Amino acid sequence: MNEHIVKSYDEQLSILKNTIAKMGSLAERQIKDATEAALKQDQGFADAIVGKDDRIDDLEKSIEQQVVNLLTMRQPLAIDLRETVSAMKISSDLERIGDLSKNIAKRSRHLDQNIVDDINKNFSAASVKVQKNVKFVLDAFLNRDAKLAEQVWYADEEIDTLVDICMNSILKCIEKSSDGSGAAACSQMMFMSKNLERIGDHATNIAETVYFLVTGDYLEGDRPKGESDIVSGQ
Amino acid sequence: MTREQRLKKRYASEKRFRFLGIGAIAISIFFVCLLLFKVFSTGSTAFIKTTIMTEVDFNKELLELGDVKNPTLKQIKEAEFFDVTYKAATGLFPYKNDEEEKGVKTLLSGNYETEIKNYLLNNPELLGQKVTIELTASDDLDQLHKGNFPRDIPEDRRRLNNFQLNVYDNLVEQGKIGTAFGNYFFFSGDSRDPEIAGVAGAVIGSFFSIIICLMIAFPIALMAAVYLEEFAPKNTFTDIIEININNLAAVPSIVFGLLGLGMLLSVFGLPRSTSLVGGITLSLMTLPTIIIACRASLKAVPPSIREGALAVGASRVQTVMHHVVPLAMPGTLSGTIIGLAQALGETAPLLLIGMVAFVVDVPSVPTDPSTSLPVQIYLWSESAERGFVEKTSATIMLLIGFLIIMNSLAVWARQKFERKW
Amino acid sequence: MSNKIVAKKVSVFYGPKQALFDVDLNVAEKQVTALIGPSGCGKSTFIRCLNRMNDVIDICKVSGNIEIDGKDIYDKSVDVVQLREKVGMVFQKPNPFPKSIYENISYGPTIHGIAKDKTHMDEIVETSLKKAALWDEVKDRLDQPGTGLSGGQQQRLCIARAISINPEVILMDEPCSALDPIATAKIETLIDDLKSSYTIAIVTHSMAQAARVSQHTGFFHLGKLIEFDFTDKIFKNPENQMTQDYITGRFG
Repeated sequence: MNEHIVKSYDEQLSILKNTIAKMGSLAERQIKDATEAALKQDQGFADAIVGKDDRIDDLEKSIEQQVVNLLTMRQPLAIDLRETVSAMKISSDLERIGDLSKNIAKRSRHLDQNIVDDINKNFSAASVKVQKNVKFVLDAFLNRDAKLAEQVWYADEEIDTLVDICMNSILKCIEKSSDGSGAAACSQMMFMSKNLERIGDHATNIAETVYFLVTGDYLEGDRPKGESDIVSGQ
Repeated sequence: MTREQRLKKRYASEKRFRFLGIGAIAISIFFVCLLLFKVFSTGSTAFIKTTIMTEVDFNKELLELGDVKNPTLKQIKEAEFFDVTYKAATGLFPYKNDEEEKGVKTLLSGNYETEIKNYLLNNPELLGQKVTIELTASDDLDQLHKGNFPRDIPEDRRRLNNFQLNVYDNLVEQGKIGTAFGNYFFFSGDSRDPEIAGVAGAVIGSFFSIIICLMIAFPIALMAAVYLEEFAPKNTFTDIIEININNLAAVPSIVFGLLGLGMLLSVFGLPRSTSLVGGITLSLMTLPTIIIACRASLKAVPPSIREGALAVGASRVQTVMHHVVPLAMPGTLSGTIIGLAQALGETAPLLLIGMVAFVVDVPSVPTDPSTSLPVQIYLWSESAERGFVEKTSATIMLLIGFLIIMNSLAVWARQKFERKW
Repeated sequence: MSNKIVAKKVSVFYGPKQALFDVDLNVAEKQVTALIGPSGCGKSTFIRCLNRMNDVIDICKVSGNIEIDGKDIYDKSVDVVQLREKVGMVFQKPNPFPKSIYENISYGPTIHGIAKDKTHMDEIVETSLKKAALWDEVKDRLDQPGTGLSGGQQQRLCIARAISINPEVILMDEPCSALDPIATAKIETLIDDLKSSYTIAIVTHSMAQAARVSQHTGFFHLGKLIEFDFTDKIFKNPENQMTQDYITGRFG
């Protein structure tokens, strides 16, 4: 890509890109940490994660301001317009990812000791896949890689499948416990895995945005969905 | 060098520059004033003439109208005025011999007989009466009265002898010497006698020449300029024409006089010394100047006006005639007037086509022989009589006056018709 | 949507210098087509081919084929005056005649003999000025010089002058480049209104203006038509890298 005639325009755009990269890596970290806090049931760690969410919110506000400035000062067109608009959309997706991670951390405080290993194992697997997708989609954004974005988009189906497995194991656990003592923890786990699935959806949104940013076209076709009626609610 | 020094130097150089500019203007103004002062101080006296109150006896017998009861104007006109005028002229002062008689008579202008006759024709009821009328004095007396002749030089070097001076002093004592409006200067043609010589012939001659020049040069120049500027293709041929026009504008005017002589007089056989030929010759001379002025003002019309007209579907001729030429008119007119002013002041080409002839009659049509103002100046400046010196300067004043009027007209035309766009 | 003007392989030469290279461009009927590109790219040259305004320049030679309503306008049988009656033009700098507002409008109808009588002429003047959204501002001073109006009003007067002879196509060569934003906005609104009755081709340096007023946009560079597409496409996602660089301000 050639440079703009106006140097400061280029600078503004690169600052915007860097802010998104920073926000993305923070969000990615939050997912990882929240999952860890849930698995280890570490109250203190969970509290720290909740606190860190403010940073992400601040970055979102900063991006919003930068975008407004760009629109008023530069009236961006074509690739610049797509970049500016995409930054806005991606930042709101990342903010949601941050919120959902925070929610996982919050809920992990209410977990009892007696979560079965089976659930933990499945939850962890889903989380790893989600983290991978978020990481890939951020790489796709930074490298303007439409192909990678498309892969992330398709990979969302796997997340749905993994979350589905996790949900099934939680349901089994509820059925097994006759006295219902584990039901509270299990329902928290249920929400947490649903959150993972939602984060996956936001990653998919970002993938669509990146694809539009790079190609100017929209990703065609049906978005891949998990088969399970538990996840999709159908 | 410090900032202050540089600043000081810059101020000093600006001051120097302004001083030089003011100096240049001052020098030009000084010379213009000098010229005007010289011309005015010499020429202003030409507008008045010296007169002598003379007793005239319109005696019927002397006029040989004794047996006519009520003479008609025609009869008075054909009457014998010799005795009356002779008595009037010689009656100014008692004389002893023929020489003194001649001295008394020549104090009056050479035209005094006609003046006396015309006076009676204008007032026929004075027939048979004795009246005192104002007669124009001779050139020599005129100059003496205006103080242009020194009295304290030897008699043989004076135009007036001792007896005539005595008569003059006597007449002054009697209060018979007076001054009047110099009607001859304005209303009569040229003459050998300075006191009755006038510029009317030259003014009318110049007027006819300029009108003919305008009628020929303006339409031809305008059409040529419009064609060259708006229609002619840009090629070598038009380039050559352009160079030639610019070149002709710089050709000395006498060359155009030779052209007039060679073509108009010899080939076409037009009458010599006439303002018709003068006007045609001057139009040839001013043509390039006016063409250049017209082209410049056509060029100054912004192309956007042409585009605007063309875009609403005007043809090229319509565009030029409806928009470009009207807009260029102020410049065209002022250029033309300046060209005519140049023609008005031109002498050399007119000398060659014979407008330098001595013409007494005021021309009434352009085909009458005539002179023009600058040629009149040239003619009089060559004459020996002292009376022509002031007439020369007065004519220069008149010419400068006409030029100022024409140039002001050019400025006025420009401002009046100028359009903003 | 049909094409009012079809240009095929249009090349323009100024003496030995070629200013346009094989331009193929169609102007859609009753829509606005914008031409953009850096200075000297040939967009004005192209638009001036459409009403043969280039004829005035001796050294200008046009080759190729331009058809309006299927008729070749460079055909020998076409009278250029009649062509310009059909294809009006508005210029970069407002150029009203230094005459009254009324005479500015009535000039075209007069030379083409459109008006039947004085009342008809008054009607033409009024409707032209109304269409150009200028009537209310000048109706009380029609006898005053058109050059005394403000820049924006002058330009609308020129548009009124162009529509007074009821053309089918209006060409606009950077009509707002000499105007302030308010006057520009008024002209743009006017272009929006006029598009229902006239086919408009506009040359502009303002990308935003092209995006706002036009439905089709062509990008010219160094005498070539680089890209021609729907305005929407050009400004959001142009095909050509050069177009992209130009509209995003990356031209080097």
